[in-house]
Amino acid sequence: MKLDRRKAFLVAERDFRDAAGDLRLVLAMVGLAAVVPIVAGTGIRALAYYGGGVSLLVQRVSIVGAFFVVFLPASYSLVLALESFVGERERSTLEVLLSTPLREAEIYAGKVASVLGISLVLCFGALLVYCGVTFPGLGYFPAGILVSLAVSTICQVAAMVTGAVIVSANAKTMRAANVMASFIILPMSIVLQLEAALILVDRGELLWGFAAAMAIGAAILLRMGLGGFSREALLARETGSRNRLRRAARAVAAAYRQAPSGLALVRARSVPVLSSLVAFPVGAGLGYLAAGILPGQVMRPVLGTLLASAAGTDPAGLAVAIFLHNLLAIVLAGLLAGVSLGFTGYLLTALPGALVGYAAAVSSWGLALTGILPNGLIEVPVAAIAGGLAINIGAAVIHLEPDGGWTRRVLGAQAELAKALLWMVPLLAVAAVLEAFLSPGR
Amino acid sequence: MLEVHRLAKRYGEVLAVSDLSLSVRAGTILVLLGQNGAGKTTAMRCMSGLLKPSAGRVLVGGVDSLADPDAVRAQVGMVPEVPGLYERMSARAYLDWFGRVYELDDMTRARRISDLLELFQLSEAADRWLGTFSKGMRQKIALIRATMHWPRLVLADEPTSALDPDSARVAWGYLEGLRAGGAALVVCTHNMEEAQVLAGEIGVMARGRLLATGDLNALAHAAGLKRHRQVVERPTLEEVYLAIVGNQEEDEARPA
Repeated sequence: MKLDRRKAFLVAERDFRDAAGDLRLVLAMVGLAAVVPIVAGTGIRALAYYGGGVSLLVQRVSIVGAFFVVFLPASYSLVLALESFVGERERSTLEVLLSTPLREAEIYAGKVASVLGISLVLCFGALLVYCGVTFPGLGYFPAGILVSLAVSTICQVAAMVTGAVIVSANAKTMRAANVMASFIILPMSIVLQLEAALILVDRGELLWGFAAAMAIGAAILLRMGLGGFSREALLARETGSRNRLRRAARAVAAAYRQAPSGLALVRARSVPVLSSLVAFPVGAGLGYLAAGILPGQVMRPVLGTLLASAAGTDPAGLAVAIFLHNLLAIVLAGLLAGVSLGFTGYLLTALPGALVGYAAAVSSWGLALTGILPNGLIEVPVAAIAGGLAINIGAAVIHLEPDGGWTRRVLGAQAELAKALLWMVPLLAVAAVLEAFLSPGR
Repeated sequence: MLEVHRLAKRYGEVLAVSDLSLSVRAGTILVLLGQNGAGKTTAMRCMSGLLKPSAGRVLVGGVDSLADPDAVRAQVGMVPEVPGLYERMSARAYLDWFGRVYELDDMTRARRISDLLELFQLSEAADRWLGTFSKGMRQKIALIRATMHWPRLVLADEPTSALDPDSARVAWGYLEGLRAGGAALVVCTHNMEEAQVLAGEIGVMARGRLLATGDLNALAHAAGLKRHRQVVERPTLEEVYLAIVGNQEEDEARPA
């Protein structure tokens, strides 16, 4: 994609000037970014002073405080991003900008850079103020965790901004965009709470995992935003939005009609199906390794209970239970594929693989693999195909194109899984009967 | 300069423009008349490279808008119906920013902005925020912004709708100057006086289609011949326009 950095900088400069041009907004942002850290830092110092020194509690709360003071200005990024995109659209300034020779990528990059720049300056400013108020004289400085916080903040703000851009591109008014932004701020606040919990239980090293997850999320959202930010999508959608429900119903019916079935479907989706199949041995390997980490006294009773309950059931009832369990797993994987971005498609094969691997570690590979025969010859391929179709749903969700068509593609991917269930259900029933009546140990 | 061949634009189920063909040579003005929703704005967005045609072709200066929309937009000056100004920028800073977008060098930009602000009697307000400007002042700024880079094709949607008569005449004079300088202009308007002052050629649009084009005499002839309707000896543009649109509505109302 062509991008003239000078022009992107021009867009960023104007947006920055626009945000900085409103003195009341600047005072509110700087004030909150400065006052909250001072109050929080003073509180920590008071806790240390009146609470009998720098206890473990003071140390951990001081780190949680750092996350808290950074999150507040980070949440500004949402407001700024929504204002920068949907605000301009609402005031009809976006059409003027789009009518210039600037490319979409330059407008997008400039706007994202401007919001990121302002938000990160506020976040790091707040962090510096907090550190300056809190730590001098306390006798400790958690440099490692604060560095991971700094990195995590960049990724977190990037994820929020890029998410907000996608929201903006799909909302016509600020009010609609604000409502849709809840889908960004709520998961982020949950992440903040999880991070705080990790610090309180002294597992700060896991924060790097959060930073990595945020970076991946931001990269996916950035790609989605860039893919969907187009003149056509922004201007044509305004008049093409009539009868949405009827159009959605028609799209569902058309997607179901047009979805290939049987071997044609497997051939068409061979890449995601194969990647789901590969997750089975990967899961087996991880399960095998996990046996050396997870304490036996935790896993053995769980497995023992499972085996005992299976042994006590009559074969017909067991077949029904296995069938329903497998069907439910596939349906859930399909339903959650969108929100998990296709991750459930990998879980569908990786989790049974992990169980086999774990069983192999506590017994032998021969015994473990024999345990899933002959039903596994049907179940594993069916799970791989269903998993592949779930991965395909996730891929459709994160794929935006300049000419639109996101809903059609997502509905099409879901229709493929729904249509495949027509022949998967009988296969699952056969596998369940085989497992209940023929598998070793029954 | 502008060649539109069988242009169609569809938004989902809505066909906004259908089978539109027209040609505007350099140094001429085409005025498009039509009711609200006639498809004028959509047609102009397609001509400016903002929207892709669903069918047909748009060529600006020989460049296909589908093949190279960036190059098309670089040749076009678009004056949308809503001025769409950045409220927290001064008029001078605003125009300077767009001048940089259009890659005018520093000296040219400064001189051009100064000249145009003076022409439109905005020099004294040049350093005020645009948010404080009146509707008419905003429209003038939008006109300056769209034309400060000497575009080869100017597309203007209701460019003087908010201007007082004196300012409108200044704007018409300015547009006429652009035409004399070799630019091609397409102006959408509901103002018949504006149409008569500006137009060499007039197009009448309804329901996404171009019903007739030509000068006033040709349009009067087309409107009169169509239904043998009695046309007054020297019809006004408004009478001709209403006759053409009326004929179209009668055609559509008549059972097949």
